[in-house]
Amino acid sequence: MSTTTMPLIKGEEENMNIKSFLLGLLAFIITLIAAVVIASTLLLIEISYASETSTELNGNEIVKRANHASLYQGTTCKGKVALKIVDSQGRIRNRSLNIIRKNQDDSDGEQLYLTYFKSPADVRKMVFLVHKTTKQGEDDSRWLYMPSLDLVKRIAAGDKRTSFAGSDFLYEDISGRNLCEDTHEFIGTEDGEYLVKNTPIDSSSVEFSHYVAHIDPKTFLPMLVEYYKNGDQLYRIMEVVEIKDINGGNGQTYPTVINSLVRNLETGSTTTMTYSDVVYDIPLKEELFGERYLRRPPREVMR
Amino acid sequence: MKRIRNALVSFAIHRSWTTILFILLAVIITGSFFPQVNIDTDPEHMLPENEKSRVFHNQAKKTFSLSEIVVVGVVNSKNPNGIFNPQTLQRIHTLASFAKNLNWEDPDKPGRRQGVIEVDMVAPSMVEHISQAGPGTISFDWLMPKAPQNQEEALAVREKIMANPMLAGRMASEDGKSLCLYLPLTDKHLSYRVYKALNEKIEAMTGDDQFHITGLPVAQDAIGVEMFTEMMVASPLAMCTIFFLLFYFFRKLSLTILPMIIATFSVIIAMGLMIGMDFDVHIMSSMIPVFLMSIAVVDSIHILSEFFDAYTPSKGREETVREVLGTLFMPMLYTSLTSAAGFFSLALTPIPPVQIFGVFVGFGIMVAWFLTIVFVPAYVMVLPKKAFTNFGFEAHTEHKNSIMDALLSATGRTAYRQAKPIIAGLLLLLTISIWGISQIQINDNPIKWFAMDHPIRKADTDLNTHFNGTHPAYLILDSIKTDTRSAKFRQDVSRRFITFAQQISSHAPNAPQLANKLLSELRKESSAGTLDQSFLDSAIAITDRIAEKASDADYYVYDELKSFFSLEQERLKPFKRPDVLQYLAKLQNTLESNGLVGKAYSAADVVSKINQEMLDGSPANYRVPDKLQSVGECYMQFQQGHRPHDLWHMVTPDFGHACVVVQLSSGDNKVMEAVERFVDDYFKTTPPPVPISHKWAGLTYINVAWQNQMVQGMLRSFIGSFGIVLFMTVFLFRSLKWGLLCMVPLTMTIAFIYGFIGIIGKDYDMPVAVLGVLTLGMSVDFAIHFVERCRSIHPHTGSWKKTVPQMFDAPARAISRNIMVIAIGFLPLLTSSLVPYKTTSLLLSSIMLLSGVLTLVGMPAIITLAEKHFFSGKQAIKTAQQ
Repeated sequence: MSTTTMPLIKGEEENMNIKSFLLGLLAFIITLIAAVVIASTLLLIEISYASETSTELNGNEIVKRANHASLYQGTTCKGKVALKIVDSQGRIRNRSLNIIRKNQDDSDGEQLYLTYFKSPADVRKMVFLVHKTTKQGEDDSRWLYMPSLDLVKRIAAGDKRTSFAGSDFLYEDISGRNLCEDTHEFIGTEDGEYLVKNTPIDSSSVEFSHYVAHIDPKTFLPMLVEYYKNGDQLYRIMEVVEIKDINGGNGQTYPTVINSLVRNLETGSTTTMTYSDVVYDIPLKEELFGERYLRRPPREVMR
Repeated sequence: MKRIRNALVSFAIHRSWTTILFILLAVIITGSFFPQVNIDTDPEHMLPENEKSRVFHNQAKKTFSLSEIVVVGVVNSKNPNGIFNPQTLQRIHTLASFAKNLNWEDPDKPGRRQGVIEVDMVAPSMVEHISQAGPGTISFDWLMPKAPQNQEEALAVREKIMANPMLAGRMASEDGKSLCLYLPLTDKHLSYRVYKALNEKIEAMTGDDQFHITGLPVAQDAIGVEMFTEMMVASPLAMCTIFFLLFYFFRKLSLTILPMIIATFSVIIAMGLMIGMDFDVHIMSSMIPVFLMSIAVVDSIHILSEFFDAYTPSKGREETVREVLGTLFMPMLYTSLTSAAGFFSLALTPIPPVQIFGVFVGFGIMVAWFLTIVFVPAYVMVLPKKAFTNFGFEAHTEHKNSIMDALLSATGRTAYRQAKPIIAGLLLLLTISIWGISQIQINDNPIKWFAMDHPIRKADTDLNTHFNGTHPAYLILDSIKTDTRSAKFRQDVSRRFITFAQQISSHAPNAPQLANKLLSELRKESSAGTLDQSFLDSAIAITDRIAEKASDADYYVYDELKSFFSLEQERLKPFKRPDVLQYLAKLQNTLESNGLVGKAYSAADVVSKINQEMLDGSPANYRVPDKLQSVGECYMQFQQGHRPHDLWHMVTPDFGHACVVVQLSSGDNKVMEAVERFVDDYFKTTPPPVPISHKWAGLTYINVAWQNQMVQGMLRSFIGSFGIVLFMTVFLFRSLKWGLLCMVPLTMTIAFIYGFIGIIGKDYDMPVAVLGVLTLGMSVDFAIHFVERCRSIHPHTGSWKKTVPQMFDAPARAISRNIMVIAIGFLPLLTSSLVPYKTTSLLLSSIMLLSGVLTLVGMPAIITLAEKHFFSGKQAIKTAQQ
């Protein structure tokens, strides 16, 4: 990619933005008409019957779509991540890293993640590689590359609720929690968002007793996730601050969370995660996610 | 003075009911403050709020989020595997799960919890276990996520703990017989609630384990509870004993009750006022009743004794009271003033609780004096007439040849005849005592405030037999910032930058060329004066700016070059530097091998542990790696675990400050001081690679800080009050020699007592220190009475030889009665479960005995030897009454 081609791309992007805006407007009008039609139809049918069907529609279905929206959009994705960790005393730690991701199938199953550390400078070039699986009873494969020792280390499964780069985000927040580990119950709507209560099937494996996700009915992105302990004790909050529509490869638009935060109420620490330069559907070879590349990360990851 | 005295006494005699009413009113008003009592057992409050070490301690606590910790110790000496058996570990697991929920919604801060801080707990089920999980594989897992099912699994838990030097010797003892759960609290005031809940849970458990709940907040609570018990039980018990003794002496219930009333009223007024003025009751001020009672009783015994001896039915009570007060008014005023001065001088110590104690005891003494002057006549007047039948010395003449009288007159004779040997003996004892004083060990230990059989003390003893150290102190290290704007720093970095560029030229040939371009750009900006940030920040900003416009190939070179500057920034953070961490590790090792410290751990251990497991898990690799990046990677790996926040108790996020946790083998101040000296020396003889200042925090150290202040403060206040008392006695007798003579018994008593303490090896601690001042007040009391009577009797007899027998009649009897009442009266405090009370009781008794003996033996012996000096010229006729 040379610098001279940049303006052209920008122009195209603007063009596409207008197109997608018109497209979105059209979709909105259609949705509106549809909504009016459905609403008036519903008025004619018995209310109890109607509400029953909407509950039936939700639950697992909502979570499945939310899972797709937050983790599987596009076949590949690349972005720069800035983590800003502010502790209870207001002291700040920053980290920056690049992440690339590749879906292995179209059914929201296996994925490959590669995280490349850029700062702090003493961990620059450290790489974290994940081969994620959604198969029941199987664990993700994780590797770590430590450049100063020139050492690749495999990380044993354990649980996925360890800190991500020392932030308040957990490893599981980044690569997703396996849907089959929880039961999902639609418990109503609030401020126009679906509320889904997720309860772990094996409660001894995690520190929470349940979590409630507030899911945007349009994008299906979880806008707010509240984690509870001992039934009713809120101790952790994950919140979406900003969403941006980003174009994918084949004319599709992906609403993407570019700014989110996690508040740990127990330690008083908060982490803000900002995504920038997010691109979808770029060609990423599978070898990039192999052990061999950990030592010599590809340039497409570094810049 | 005479006019004031007569006015007071007349008022009390003529308006006795009004006087009594006024006094009762004062007692009721001050007594009504008692329900607001607030107990304060925080050792931190021994230091003024703005005191340097206290401010530093609190800052350190905040910087490193250090909390007060409740410790649950589990000991099993019966099982051959100690606590590492499935049943015990199951109980430990259950207890940890129970303890982590011991927190509640904070009523003051909605949404926040108070109680046990779950995330900072140390328990097998809640700490990270980093280990090898097959070749080339590392595992981050909870150490004991589930209780083991069989013995094999239980032993695996032991192995896991022992594999982590940060847990071995801290969470579990190396002998495997005991384990500690550490429960940090959001606020130490919640410890009682946590303690109670834990206790209930533990009581419901079966098995052969022993459980101890301890830790400083628990100990503080326990002291508070015991203090209350002492005030409510032991002090009244002492009072009863005194009452029985007085009854034995005076045989008249209605009169012997008088000293008790005066003592009680003085205590209520002084303490009520203290509580009403919003002062907390500290361990010191909880002893106010004990001290005040002894002094108040002494005053009224003088008056009663005199009244008892002087009363005859023909004289009647009014005249006797007037006569007695006429004789005793001045000496009592002076003894009270001198005792009060001794206590007021405690205000010169820099320790707030001791100041408050001194001021209110001093105040109470003056209240007691006033009550004696006013209440005694009023009380005597309102008693029904029949109360005086069969009263008075005359009525008890059959007692004239009692053992006590015989003993006293024998003492008088001996003191007169054997003056020289007595003085020689006393001088010999004084010499020995001075040597003894030089042997005094200044030391205190709040745990040792509890008697041996107290659960807190037992816990401490038991746990310390298994662990090498359980008393935490925090060594706080602060780095001094490097000047990154100096020319020297720039030149140094630039030179190394060029070297770095040449090194990478093997795979980026144009690196040196680009590096030079960057440096010239930097120079241009700095000469233009636009360089207002630090050199490294500017270098990074400029590299970023140039790189953005560069071609792909150049971008990567620039990226490498930039990383040099970023890395330099990391190198400026001392506690990321390998050499600094290696220095820490070495300091810890030296401390541990020295024996004073059971365990020391710091960020160096975090890095060493990760380094070990990242490499191959072999114990030899438990070390700080040599490269800056390796340390950074270790830190990052640790933070990728379950408990990243653990790191911030050991180092600040900017890696500029660190906290080394040192577990001392004992809570003794002298151990803490020895460690402090050791570390000071270490820093002097082995300077750290970068300038680092070191200071201590933690309550163990706070105890040392206030102890040092106390020793100096007590000395200052002692010298001060000695001066005041001397001045007052000189003024009272208008004579330097008599004034100096009064100081003899107290000086010797103090010398003997402290000499004895030094010789038997008892620690010089807070109660011992404070008792010095009490001695001053009490002994001078006897001496003043003695001298006063000497000088009033001498003009009538005309010779010292004839004065002696008279001195050893009524005056000596009053003094001996006092000695016996106080010496025996406070023995019930020996039953206390708080050692300071026991010490007070024993010392108080010995002080009374010694100063009494010295007054009755030493003083007449001195007067005998220097009779001409004391009774010469007109001065002898003058007494203080004129």
